[in-house]
Amino acid sequence: MKHFGALLMKDVRLMVSGKFFLMSLGFLILYTLYVNFGYIRFMDVGMYQVYMYDPEGTQKEASSLVHRVPSEKELEAALLEDDNGVGINASNGKLQVLYSEESKKAGCHKADYAISLLRQSEKYNARIMGIQTPEQKARRDITCELLFFEMIAVGFLGIAAVIFKEKNMGVIRVCAILPVKRNWFLLSKITVFLLSDLVFAILLTLFNVGLSDTAGILPGVLLQTAFLSIIMALSGVICALLLKDFRQFTLAYLLITIFAATPVFMSANTPIKLEWIRFHPFYHIYMGLKNAYFEMSGNSPLYYLGCLIAVGGLFAVTLYIFRREMGKER
Amino acid sequence: MIEVKDLTFSYGKDKQILHGLDFTVEDGEIFGFLGPNGSGKSTTQKILTGILKGHGGKVFLFGQDISTVHTQEFFQKIGVLFEFPYLYANLSAVDNLKYFSSFYPAVRLRDIGELLDMLEFKRDFLKKPVSSYSKGMRQRVSMARVLLTNPRLLFLDEPTSGLDPSGAVLFRRIIEEERQKGTTVFLTTHNMLDADLLCDRVAFISNGSIMALDTPQNLKEKNSSHRIRITYLYQGKREEMIIAASQLESGISFPYDEIVSVHSQEPTLEDMFLQYTGRRLT
Repeated sequence: MKHFGALLMKDVRLMVSGKFFLMSLGFLILYTLYVNFGYIRFMDVGMYQVYMYDPEGTQKEASSLVHRVPSEKELEAALLEDDNGVGINASNGKLQVLYSEESKKAGCHKADYAISLLRQSEKYNARIMGIQTPEQKARRDITCELLFFEMIAVGFLGIAAVIFKEKNMGVIRVCAILPVKRNWFLLSKITVFLLSDLVFAILLTLFNVGLSDTAGILPGVLLQTAFLSIIMALSGVICALLLKDFRQFTLAYLLITIFAATPVFMSANTPIKLEWIRFHPFYHIYMGLKNAYFEMSGNSPLYYLGCLIAVGGLFAVTLYIFRREMGKER
Repeated sequence: MIEVKDLTFSYGKDKQILHGLDFTVEDGEIFGFLGPNGSGKSTTQKILTGILKGHGGKVFLFGQDISTVHTQEFFQKIGVLFEFPYLYANLSAVDNLKYFSSFYPAVRLRDIGELLDMLEFKRDFLKKPVSSYSKGMRQRVSMARVLLTNPRLLFLDEPTSGLDPSGAVLFRRIIEEERQKGTTVFLTTHNMLDADLLCDRVAFISNGSIMALDTPQNLKEKNSSHRIRITYLYQGKREEMIIAASQLESGISFPYDEIVSVHSQEPTLEDMFLQYTGRRLT
């Protein structure tokens, strides 16, 4: 264990000198500011205001949420001022729903909502799923996405930078003649990055999901973070050992981050459905992380088995390439 | 200490690098392994230090087959100096040595400060990062890393590379002191001066085969013309005469006023290498 401790300390010092922790802290601050002062405010759209002109008082069950206006002119004026609002003209005995051109696409939903406010006795209430408020949901959603992006892009880059440094210094060759097990050199790096990612995940979740919600979801989130962190760290080591220099790596990095992240985000967060996405390994990991954030038990034993096989397989490949690198000439 | 029998090695199917090497290195011997770039000397050293696997033939170190002895105990007994000084550039000399020493039992370790003093390392740089060192200073730290653990067998690859003449003299003196302590040294080099001054025996390797193996003195004597060149002054003129060494037994037979110099016509190790391998070392 003394040997492993020495390796860990050396890797931490390499990361400190490479300003990796500083970079992670910077990203943590940036994400937190974005979530709390940008994303959540942007997503906080008020509910539709419903304005009604009903001179004869035909709508007796209308909810108190409906704003009654005294004339048709005032109804139009209210809608012109509030693009998001919806109007009801009940002056001819019939209900005529009005909304502005800008909100045409959401018009049907608005109409349904407005009419539902007039029929309070029908008890037509939708079943409420979950216990999270829209803000809580939005916070979990964006935190999950940012954590996934951080692991895919930033962590991957960080470990590759450390390996490139060691390659350039030639010290990987010295590892070959030290009385230490070869796999410890890799394990120490993976451990440092894993711990760093776990701390990052805890802080990011704490600052953006909130203290009360974090406690419940943290074990699941950390488990998924661990899988993703180890897989990305091993992939980063493989790329850094195989590729000649950092310029080549930059190209590979772009390809990996674009192809790993883009289809996953598109499939998971937009109506675009890609048929082949179920074969994309990162899609399953992303969904695993999302399930953890939303406390859903959607991850099958097969998923965990797949993760373990991926970690084991990548570690074996990394060890093989690492041994080969030790025997290379400068 | 080292016994190599019919050692072969190939990179892939077609690229055979070593073609059946046979040699032994005795305890406490400085053995020179001389060859130009691409001759197979680095490959041989990598096999002996356990970095490369998959060789043919037999290699015994410390009396044990190398295929079975790559344990932590084995690596504790050897010290390897690479051709380039591989160190952590962000750490200081002291921190590098502390890091590398942490993998060895404390009883084997020498004092870092004393070792760096012995290697005439500039004290001002002790705590500065290696990235600020000259190549000579890095080589001194690398040598300190190798000697730090009191290894019984040293593999030195171009130890005086990057050193100024006084540094090279210092390194040769340190290697000689190690031998006097009983350490065996396997010296890989194409520096003929190092080989000639340090080695008890040298092997010439070319294209993966050993072309000659003997003491430097024997190699030179066997191929010597046994002639002597004498420079002298006679009647105010500077003259030169080459005579057979045996002629000297009966004294100088030609007239002279003053002998300026007497040089044997013995070939250099470089000449011998060229003669045996048909190639120059550099």
